[in-house]
Amino acid sequence: MVDKIKVENLNCYYNKQCVLESLNINIAQNEILSIIGPANSGKTTFLRALNRMNDLDANYSRKGKIYLDDDNIFYMNMENLRRRIGMLFAMPIPLPMSIYENIVYAPKRLGLISNKSEQDVIVEQALKDVSLWDEVKGRLNSSAMKISGGQQQRLCIARILAINPEVILFDEPCSGLDPISTAKVEESIIELKRKYTIVLVTNNVKQASRVSDKTAFFLMGKLIEIDKTGKLFVSPQEKQTEDYITGRFG
Amino acid sequence: MIKLSPKLSQKLSYLILFLATILAVIPVALIVFIIVKNGVSALTWEFLTSMPKDGMRGGGILPAILGTLSIVMSAIFLTLPIGVCAAIYLNEYAKDNLLTRIIKLAIVNLAGVPSVVYGLLGLGIFVMFLKLGVSIIAGALTLSIMELPVVITTARGALNSVPYSFREASLSLGVSRWQTIRYIVLPNALPGILTGAILSIARISGETAPILFTAAAFYIPYLPHSIFDQVMTLPYHLYIISTQIPNMPKNVIFATALVLLMIVLTMSVLAIIARIYFRKYRKW
Amino acid sequence: MKKIINTIIETIIFICGILSIVFVVLIFGFLFKEGFAFFKDYNVIKFIMGQFWYPDSNPALFGILPIVIGSILVTFGACLIVVPIGIMDALYISEIAPKGIRDVLKSSVELMAAIPSVVIGFVGMVTLVPFVKNLFDIPTGLTAFSGSITLAFMAMPTIVTISEDAIRSVPWQYKEGALALGATKWQTIRRIVLKTARPGIIAAVMLGIGRVVGETMAVMMITGNSAHIPNSIFEPVRTMTATIAAEMGETVRGDMHYKALFAIGLVLFVITFIVNFIADLFLGKNKNK
Repeated sequence: MVDKIKVENLNCYYNKQCVLESLNINIAQNEILSIIGPANSGKTTFLRALNRMNDLDANYSRKGKIYLDDDNIFYMNMENLRRRIGMLFAMPIPLPMSIYENIVYAPKRLGLISNKSEQDVIVEQALKDVSLWDEVKGRLNSSAMKISGGQQQRLCIARILAINPEVILFDEPCSGLDPISTAKVEESIIELKRKYTIVLVTNNVKQASRVSDKTAFFLMGKLIEIDKTGKLFVSPQEKQTEDYITGRFG
Repeated sequence: MIKLSPKLSQKLSYLILFLATILAVIPVALIVFIIVKNGVSALTWEFLTSMPKDGMRGGGILPAILGTLSIVMSAIFLTLPIGVCAAIYLNEYAKDNLLTRIIKLAIVNLAGVPSVVYGLLGLGIFVMFLKLGVSIIAGALTLSIMELPVVITTARGALNSVPYSFREASLSLGVSRWQTIRYIVLPNALPGILTGAILSIARISGETAPILFTAAAFYIPYLPHSIFDQVMTLPYHLYIISTQIPNMPKNVIFATALVLLMIVLTMSVLAIIARIYFRKYRKW
Repeated sequence: MKKIINTIIETIIFICGILSIVFVVLIFGFLFKEGFAFFKDYNVIKFIMGQFWYPDSNPALFGILPIVIGSILVTFGACLIVVPIGIMDALYISEIAPKGIRDVLKSSVELMAAIPSVVIGFVGMVTLVPFVKNLFDIPTGLTAFSGSITLAFMAMPTIVTISEDAIRSVPWQYKEGALALGATKWQTIRRIVLKTARPGIIAAVMLGIGRVVGETMAVMMITGNSAHIPNSIFEPVRTMTATIAAEMGETVRGDMHYKALFAIGLVLFVITFIVNFIADLFLGKNKNK
């Protein structure tokens, strides 16, 4: 399989303190990679390094290289990079506008669409892809702040699909949701695998085992182990990994 | 000392607090009442639209009204765009380092510098050093310099009230920083910025000290021809006729105060209503 | 094309940001330059400790002690009135007042801030001044006392709104904890709310003082404008702000009197800057909690 993202010797620092240390990971095309690990293990920092959201923070610095299709992302135009690597946050963040506007917002700003009928097509397609269309098609013009948390999170996924990215990053996307909404979001994620490469950070070990092809275990800013999900959960090579996935860990 | 039961002491304290509140609110009502009661008889259409006569004891206050309007509008026109842009720069672009923090702190504190100090600066810089003379433009520049820290501070407050997560969400979709500001931050900060602007207009309309030596004229019974002319202004006119002119008819002074009060209060009430309205209908 | 517009707008914003900072620096550079120029020709000690302000005598005397005392007297008197009333007011509005009239009370207090100081000065002149004169049977009602009362009400909105913010930001868990232990609401307010909100209330008082010290027109119209050291609060005084406002029109750029007024401006600037800075520190403290 082709590698979509290659991370070479990445080090990340906050206030000069190392939070992620000499990291090497390859992520294959159309693969779902889960990142698991306890709090403060550097999972989210890693995720936000991939679309350079970390770079917004003045206290952050980094060393190393990340390649997207053989292009070093640190030399790429920031807007282009984020267009190609979409990101879903832990809490649903609908923008303060209608459901419809939420989806066409980025395509409009990026100049991807020109007329109303194109917009309509994109909105319908994106909402269908996350199976939200039937739930909201009657009230596309009402505020996105008024739908339920699970619906908002799926709307946020739809918003990312509308700019047609290549990679989607999920940062604990179900941490604020109930089990039923979680199941729906997970369904969407598995569905998305056919078209996109996915990196999923999660606190929920079972979620990682349910949806991902590969799983990486982070601890204290280091990659401890990465392997096929089936293999990692059945016969982990490292003691720490085993302790964590069996719940024997703090 | 008598020991009161907790219940009784609570009742007593509430009563005292209530009386204190009444004491704070009454002067406002009283001032408005006194001015309206004594001024309304002299407040005619003619009073608003004619020139002063008889050493200001008769006639109207048209030049003072127009003078105030021209100075205030020029000042807001100068200070609002610069102030809002500066707020955007400080809040959205400037790196969060020691220098930025010092600048932000300085600007907040400059808003508390007395207006008469700005008047002094206006006289020194615009009237004398830049040789603009006592004129509309010198007064407007003085007021705009005075109001700049206030505009920046309120605009920053409005920008800050837009959750940071909205910016992150927009940026993560590949939308550029300026477009994020233009389409997400500014529309949601606009109510706050506008309310602040209205309050600024109200505030500088009533300011006397900064224009005392930079723009205001004692008595000019005609309208200004250019921005380099001196003008009469409402607050200064009120000051003059209430302290410097002997045998001034009282109801004319009250009517002048009433006009000034109406201009300023209308705008303040507008701002208060706007703020309550926007708070109620805020989308998040 | 979009990129170019983007860059142009960002450049304009950047320039405005820098420009406003440059303005501020330049302007206060000017104040410092003109103010310090005075001290080249006039002894600083004589300026601060001098008991006579006679700018027109020969030789001219520029002792600011009488006007500093005037400012302090008026400010102190105003604080004695406004601080207790303002805090009680804020407590009532934020903790006790029924919801329906809360906004009304708050807005009417805020309206006081909107009334121009020259209007307040005028109303004070025709009502308060004769009242004080008759009440205490003194030769004139234009006294420090009248000034203090007027300024107290002018500082009220600042103190009430900022204290109210501080009181409202006390976490409800604190109050609930106290109420659950059987304290009455008033005991909770007195022991928990007031204590927790203290930094914010101190900040409010500092900002109120800043407002009072800097007030010009109303003071000039009500305190009688007499630049001598008063024996009691029932005598006319003159403040630093009123001195600048009353005399600036008579000066010529560059002469001693002009520079002396700039020196007073400098003193005022430093005082208000310090007061605001302290307020800022306390406000920051409140926020970090």
